[in-house]
Amino acid sequence: MSNDHVTILDGNTFVVSDSRGDIEASLTDTTGLFSFDTRFLARWVLTVDGEKLNPLSVDDLQYFETRFFLVPGTGTVYVDAKLSVIRRRAVGDGFHEELTILNHDDHPVDLTVRIDAASDFADLFEVKDALQKKGRYSARVEKKRLVLGYERETFQRATAISASAPAKIDEQGLTFAARIEPGGEWTTDLDVVPAAGASGAFVRPKYARGQRRARPNMERSLEAWLEDAPRLECDLDSLKSTYRRSLVDLAALRFSPPVAGRGKSLPAAGLPWFMTMFGRDSIFTSLQALPFTPELAATTLRALGDWQGTRVDDFRDEDPGRIPHEMRYGEMTAFEERPHSPYYGAADSTALYVVLLDEYERWTGDTRLVHELEREARAALNWIDEYADLMGNGYVWYQRRNEETGLENQCWKDSWDSISYRDGRLPGFPRATCEIQGYAYDAKVRGARLARSIWKDSALADKLERQAADLKRRFNRDFWVEDGEYFALALDTEGNQVDSLTSNNGHLLWSGIVQKSKAKAVARQLLGPRLFSGWGVRTLAEGEGRYNPIGYHVGTVWPFDTSFIAWGLRRYGFKEEAASLAAGILDAAAVFNGRLPEAFGGYERGVTKYPVQYPTACSPQAWSTGAPLLLLRTMLGLEPVGDQLVVDPALPESIGLLALLDIPGRWGRVDAFARGRLQAGERLAGARGRYRV
Amino acid sequence: MTDSTTEFFETLATRGHEPALEKITGTIRFDLSSADSRPVRWLITISKGDIAVSRRNAKADCVVRTDQAIFAGIASGEKNAMAAFLRGAIALEGDRGLLLAFQRAFPGPRRKDA
Repeated sequence: MSNDHVTILDGNTFVVSDSRGDIEASLTDTTGLFSFDTRFLARWVLTVDGEKLNPLSVDDLQYFETRFFLVPGTGTVYVDAKLSVIRRRAVGDGFHEELTILNHDDHPVDLTVRIDAASDFADLFEVKDALQKKGRYSARVEKKRLVLGYERETFQRATAISASAPAKIDEQGLTFAARIEPGGEWTTDLDVVPAAGASGAFVRPKYARGQRRARPNMERSLEAWLEDAPRLECDLDSLKSTYRRSLVDLAALRFSPPVAGRGKSLPAAGLPWFMTMFGRDSIFTSLQALPFTPELAATTLRALGDWQGTRVDDFRDEDPGRIPHEMRYGEMTAFEERPHSPYYGAADSTALYVVLLDEYERWTGDTRLVHELEREARAALNWIDEYADLMGNGYVWYQRRNEETGLENQCWKDSWDSISYRDGRLPGFPRATCEIQGYAYDAKVRGARLARSIWKDSALADKLERQAADLKRRFNRDFWVEDGEYFALALDTEGNQVDSLTSNNGHLLWSGIVQKSKAKAVARQLLGPRLFSGWGVRTLAEGEGRYNPIGYHVGTVWPFDTSFIAWGLRRYGFKEEAASLAAGILDAAAVFNGRLPEAFGGYERGVTKYPVQYPTACSPQAWSTGAPLLLLRTMLGLEPVGDQLVVDPALPESIGLLALLDIPGRWGRVDAFARGRLQAGERLAGARGRYRV
Repeated sequence: MTDSTTEFFETLATRGHEPALEKITGTIRFDLSSADSRPVRWLITISKGDIAVSRRNAKADCVVRTDQAIFAGIASGEKNAMAAFLRGAIALEGDRGLLLAFQRAFPGPRRKDA
């Protein structure tokens, strides 16, 4: 998405326009009104007396609402503009637009106001891959509205466009004759509503004229959401605004899966391509947000559990017990031209599901959910042993069975070139990447805890503990790169190490699979010059064959990745190192006005001074939005121990005083206080923390 | 030879209990139509995974209307229920969540190598 695009969203309905508020999409362009992975409006162009307007300014009022100030004219000189045009637009079950024209002249004017409208009903996959449509289009003028339609067999989508002011409606849009007195104004409401299915029923847009309070597709309004989250007090203003931005963006990215029948929301992955349920992204984001909004985790666990695999289906890479990777609602999924109904091709999400369930219970004490999802958790643990060990040697491997439209790399670094040897060669399939072994280890350890303490199944607990210990021993032998003192990225089918140095080492610390004797060497690598850029940890170390500071998974820094690495460092007692990473990412967040992109360039901090945004990165993106939250947790050293929350802070001096008030959990609400005392490279001295119930 | 739809429901009735459906209690009626034969109806009563199957006409918490050929594809595992729903080939009335939960009981496709 280019930077001058304006985006407003509500659940998985969103509008992307230019800075005039116009939409002029081509098959490969991302502007439009999108809902459930379908573009319902591809053209929406305002003209006054046949002329397009010029943007003066855009006000992003709220995540679902924006206002465009426009004037007529052909370019650079606006001084003699006698008209102002204001478009105020709110998205929600389609969108509502209030168009107002003011006459500043001393005589009346007669204007022809025109809205051109059209839709291509493109599936998001088609926009991404520039594919051609197979169905039939229609445009129908009804008494008070224009209905654009698309039909392919039983698949029907439609867009209804109507106005409050008298309009001449044709198949390409609406025309208004506006007479405006001196100093007067003319105004109309415009409503654009999508519909799916044969019934052709259009709902009303969520917002009517003058309505300004957020009415999200979820149980709680933005105000209640912010009110419920812990309060952050801090000397550093940029951290306060980053925190608020994170909470607001997380609210915006909440998404209620249709057909779920529960009316609750979970985090979607990111805008614009990923406003849908993603196993991995939803789990990671829920983990990051646990100390702040634990209910996201509960919904994620339930929704992913609802769709847990039950059969063997090669097209969807589905197995019994496997947690879904991605759900889509567009035409290509509907006709089984894409496998996303849902698609299961992820090798890590199933173990991470168990990790989230355990971490959720440790924070909330909600044993009811652990009982409710016992079957799902057992099936997930079973998947690791029964379906994921493709080589039969006790590791989790992946190889897609859908070779046409399935995912090659089924780990979080899912681009084609992300898994490479030092010399840049790519291994064959199947592949066993290291971090997935860590997640599997953690799932077994945590699964054992749940089995012993909540399901009261000590036989299962014993078995899982034995398996975990064995996996840890083998892993530390087979993946350890002796001459580099780090863990290899993966094993290939011959049992050889895919030996490049990557950020995945930090996830291994987080999982706990790293033997204590090796942890220091791993931490040294993560903070060393080849991986740490000064802003965060590079996905692939400088000097490796495929290293590229703006390569998607081969050199960029992902804030989410670094946040989990910081958590891993804390787990092994490397407080200062974790604080250094937190400081780098939070500094970057300040440069991005509190909204971290999905990824930014791996250039050394001293060289570029600013973090360089990755060209096509998603923003906002859920797990980047969650990164500052997890970093707050790691800096404060928040850890549930029994029924209490332990606070053990270690923060950079630049942060000053930090207080996080009303942290929810099994202890009720607790406050955490800390004072930044760490300078770069200095030993931690005298960090204090306390907790009260 | 029975068709895949009959086979699917009769197998379900024989099993009597489906662990994957232990979270559901409710009734689902499948109204299966066809251009050239009589409509077919199946009524499934689920109580925490215990299943009773009949061909009675009765009110149900969730009514699923679709074409017999489409449902036969789903019942044999060759077609996907969620995709059919997105395509508008399945119409739902009542508690949609019930069909979502029930879809776990549909089989996977026959595997090429099997």
